[in-house]
Amino acid sequence: MKASARLLLSPAVRPFTIMVGTIAALGLIDRGTGYFFSVGTIFSVMQLFATLGLVALGLGLSMLVREFDLSVAGMMSLAGCIAVLTGGTSPWLGAGLGVGAGVLSGLLQGLIITRLGLSSVGVTLGGLLTLQGLTYVLAGNQTVSYPNMAVALGLNAPIAHLLSVRSAAALAVFMVAALVMTFTHIGRDIIATGSDRRASRIAGLNTDRIVIGVFAASGAASALAGVLLSYSLGAASPAGLSDVLAPAAAAAIVGGVSVVGGRGNALGIAAGVLTLCILRSGLSAIGVPPFVHDLVTGGILLVIAVLDAPDLARHMTAWRFSRAERLAHIFSKESRDGAAT
Amino acid sequence: MSELAVPGRRSRRLLGARQLGLTIRVAAIAAIAVFALSTPGFLSPLSINALLTAISFVGCVAVGMTFITLTGNIMSLALGATLSASALVFLASLSFGMVPAFLIAALFGTVITAAQGFLVGYFRANPILVSIAALSLLLGGAAFATGGHRIYPGGAGIEFFKARIAGVPVNAIIFFATVIVGQFVMSWTRIGRLMTMVGSNPRAAIAAGIDITATITIAYAIAGACAAIGGMLLAARYGSADMELGAGYDYSAIAAVLVGGTGISGGSGSAWRTFIGVIVIAVLEVVLLLRGFSEQLQYLITGLIVLGVIMLHALGERRQG
Repeated sequence: MKASARLLLSPAVRPFTIMVGTIAALGLIDRGTGYFFSVGTIFSVMQLFATLGLVALGLGLSMLVREFDLSVAGMMSLAGCIAVLTGGTSPWLGAGLGVGAGVLSGLLQGLIITRLGLSSVGVTLGGLLTLQGLTYVLAGNQTVSYPNMAVALGLNAPIAHLLSVRSAAALAVFMVAALVMTFTHIGRDIIATGSDRRASRIAGLNTDRIVIGVFAASGAASALAGVLLSYSLGAASPAGLSDVLAPAAAAAIVGGVSVVGGRGNALGIAAGVLTLCILRSGLSAIGVPPFVHDLVTGGILLVIAVLDAPDLARHMTAWRFSRAERLAHIFSKESRDGAAT
Repeated sequence: MSELAVPGRRSRRLLGARQLGLTIRVAAIAAIAVFALSTPGFLSPLSINALLTAISFVGCVAVGMTFITLTGNIMSLALGATLSASALVFLASLSFGMVPAFLIAALFGTVITAAQGFLVGYFRANPILVSIAALSLLLGGAAFATGGHRIYPGGAGIEFFKARIAGVPVNAIIFFATVIVGQFVMSWTRIGRLMTMVGSNPRAAIAAGIDITATITIAYAIAGACAAIGGMLLAARYGSADMELGAGYDYSAIAAVLVGGTGISGGSGSAWRTFIGVIVIAVLEVVLLLRGFSEQLQYLITGLIVLGVIMLHALGERRQG
């Protein structure tokens, strides 16, 4: 019993435990009315997944190597704008340019961070502001609309009632990331770089190249999220995407990515994103007011924050000891009193 | 004890790099000053007043953020939401009078943020993760309490914040006071020294017997109080508030902290530097506006300059050691 609980809460399995727990809890609340367990809910979960998932994947990758890519929101809006502006006649060209811009900005940030030895929070904060500024300039400080509505409809057209082209694309990216990280040395190198960068470097790993690559991948993933979102909305706006960072970080962390680096994988991130998306669409399908979603997400994150805290175990042991000591004290006092009378 | 807490950057060998860094900083500030003063209309009372008012909101949050960065906890993504929530509390409790409302809202921001600091200090929980959790809880809690509606003042009293004393907006006076108090705490009190020490080397701080839980909790408490003050100023200015009020303030605040030269890795920094950072960014924006740059170019140029300044500071810091 205890062993199985430990397995379910172990870092590699925990994201899936939380996801299944969420589905079970929502199913219980739903009590078979069928609002939650419906094809419509699955479709809307996957639509949310398409946007949040790719950003969480990018941010999660940067967290795996113990960096933090604050610029994902900027990448997203910039790529969306570029795609909408250039992809009027050929959506593939627009998407290519958008994702290319994401890769390029990621490469640049990775180069600055590794070559100059700077902290990623500072550099990507500057990057975020710069990318947002660039988006404002490209879009001329207004919402730009995408003339090719066929693309928008096509991207959101359902496949087998469960997926859309957009969410299928996001899933495919996750599959590729999971395969690459499991079956090539890149995944191992990323984990090694995140666990102990100095040791990895001494062992002969080119950690700079890994970090630069991770930032490029993060740029590409968030750019793709922006391209898909802007195409399917038929518009891109320089403002309004900036609140994607916190949910994406939350999803990556629920998905088992450790904030101190070196732990996590693509499938876990997918489970983390799905958990948040299931919570959001599930709760609204059941008819619970939206604020419950925020409260539940916040509660889950708080529990994870404390569970993953390095000093929790130390305090637990200390509590146990002090309780044992108190008990021993009481017992010895009782026995003394008993002896006296 | 107080000798221990002085950041160890006094060795003579490093004086050269230190002076170089200082020279670059002074030159950069001088360049911005010349650029600003040569801009027609910059010194007009109208533009100065707009500047003073604009810096006071983000400035209060930035001074608060400095305490979090100083203690080695990078940044909080929840200060913007704390600002909004405190503004809601302030406006709703104005029916008790201005001073009680001010105290209630300040206490609210302090307690909410100190609780995060306790988790970070006691369990060594990850500060960014805790702040994201707090952000979610604040958004959810506020939506529950307000039903998603805007909040309007429950009583009179916000006129006080719109007034001027000797020609200076009350907003700006409160911001200046926040900077002075913040700087006083950081450099003249025992707890301020402890914050620097905990930020520069938490392990050494624990070994030295410092109560890092209390130190970090107090740093967060001050950050929350500062965000709450910013929220009250903003609520008074707009006469109403919702949770969108503070959106984006986390990023502006940490940008000001970094532009001021506080190191992201903790253990160095001051409210005074953050004050400079806030002024530099605000002056840039005003000058770009006055020189007729389009709004989109203002965003881009500000972003590039912030990136450049952060890189310069980080390089200088790395050279020092």
